[in-house]
Amino acid sequence: MEMVSRVSGNISILELKGRFDAYELKPVQEWFENNTSVSNPKLVINLAGVHFLDSSALASLVQGMKRSRDKNGDLHLCNLQQSVRIIFELTKINRAIDIFPSELEAVKAFNE
Amino acid sequence: MPSYKIALITTFPPGKGSLNEYAYHFVRYLRQKREVSELVLLVDYLPGKEQYPEFEKDGYAPTRIVPCWDFDSKTNALRILKAVRQEKPDVVILNLQFASFGSGKVAAALGLTTPALIRLSGFPVITLLHNIMETIDLKKAGFGGNPLLEKLIRVFGYIFTRLLLLSNLVAVTIPKYVEILENKYKAKNVLLTPHGSFEEASADPVFEPPPGPQRIMTFGKFGTYKKVEPLVEAYKILQAKNHHDMELVIAGTDSPNSPGYLESVKQTYSEVKSICFTGYVAEEDVPKVFGDASVVVFPYNSTTGSSGVLHQAGEYARAVVLPNIGDFAALVAEEGFTGEFFEPDNTESLAQAIENILDNPIRRLEIASQNFAAATGLPVSDVVDWYLLHIQTLVSKKPKAKR
Repeated sequence: MEMVSRVSGNISILELKGRFDAYELKPVQEWFENNTSVSNPKLVINLAGVHFLDSSALASLVQGMKRSRDKNGDLHLCNLQQSVRIIFELTKINRAIDIFPSELEAVKAFNE
Repeated sequence: MPSYKIALITTFPPGKGSLNEYAYHFVRYLRQKREVSELVLLVDYLPGKEQYPEFEKDGYAPTRIVPCWDFDSKTNALRILKAVRQEKPDVVILNLQFASFGSGKVAAALGLTTPALIRLSGFPVITLLHNIMETIDLKKAGFGGNPLLEKLIRVFGYIFTRLLLLSNLVAVTIPKYVEILENKYKAKNVLLTPHGSFEEASADPVFEPPPGPQRIMTFGKFGTYKKVEPLVEAYKILQAKNHHDMELVIAGTDSPNSPGYLESVKQTYSEVKSICFTGYVAEEDVPKVFGDASVVVFPYNSTTGSSGVLHQAGEYARAVVLPNIGDFAALVAEEGFTGEFFEPDNTESLAQAIENILDNPIRRLEIASQNFAAATGLPVSDVVDWYLLHIQTLVSKKPKAKR
């Protein structure tokens, strides 16, 4: 899996590409640790390039969201492929985590 | 951060009812979460004068055990409702399967009205349902031979599934169950919460069984969907084929719905050498029972209740022999597991599948490695976080309870 991290204003953005599963968790978990060490962290995860996501990967996103909310911040997801969206719908995690159609909207939602 | 008083309706060790072990681990992690301010376990009474131990004050959420129902009582739903009203939790979770409340059809069915009654009283309810009627083979569960009775049970199964679906949320552990409940019942409140692994993944799993006899092990509560006779017959076939340095370990107890079953098996096969009946396996002995096994066998003719043991076999890096029933192989693969498959009710096929693992250490290692990876990917601790997210969403929109 490829990871590209960047910053837009006070928002940290992580782009993931490829298969996101139990074997790829560690770098993503480290990214969450680094980016939730500040107060009020605003995180966007762009999943446009992710075609497969397993339950442990989903759990790591939930952990990232919990960590950011613990620090009065939040985590937004965007650009979910249909195969990935199904996992969120099956687990109903889409009711608890904010998901946006595009990165622009995910970023914009933090500024509203 | 909001925190919640949670009531969990379940069996719990040292109670020996089904799903007690899942409850033990679920509670172990749930009470460690900061979102939980208090946990009340609404459990069944223990037999005789046995008492539940008290939870120690250990810095986690205060946890109390309140016995308030009896297996096979027809009044469980009302007694549990009364206890819920007294406790006034923010949310109620039920850890259930279809026969949780009784071996008799009436007691079992009336117990299944509990989630609906609690919700109607204004408490948000999440039901964790470990099996669904549609995947239970009634013939093999002992209701065969009478098509009318089978049809009647299906009709009542439909009605009681509808009642369970009156919970705010119904969680199931297998994606196929979500599909069935959404398609057949048009349910919108069903969600997948994977089983999860009971223990933190060992950094250094032991894939090899210890030296000594090769142990063929089966684990569970036996007598209804899980019958050990085919396994003993397969074991006899292996003995006849000169596999002498081995032992058959039947670990666990009778299903609450089949008292006396294992004792009758013991008597029937008293002449077969090297069979060990462990009886109830206490929580602290579970790692050794799995760790000593060369292979874990699922001599089931229905896949109901197989998920928990399969996850445990994976956590302890054991190879497994599984029944080739319906789309079970596909479901197993969907969860990332694998195994050697046998044709149900065919003892030759079962003996061959066991032999394929005993005689082939490379195949055994392949299966054990894949199952270890599958079982340890998602710990119960993470699954509990998912429940807490759903609780947060539910409680924020709950109506006022009639208390």
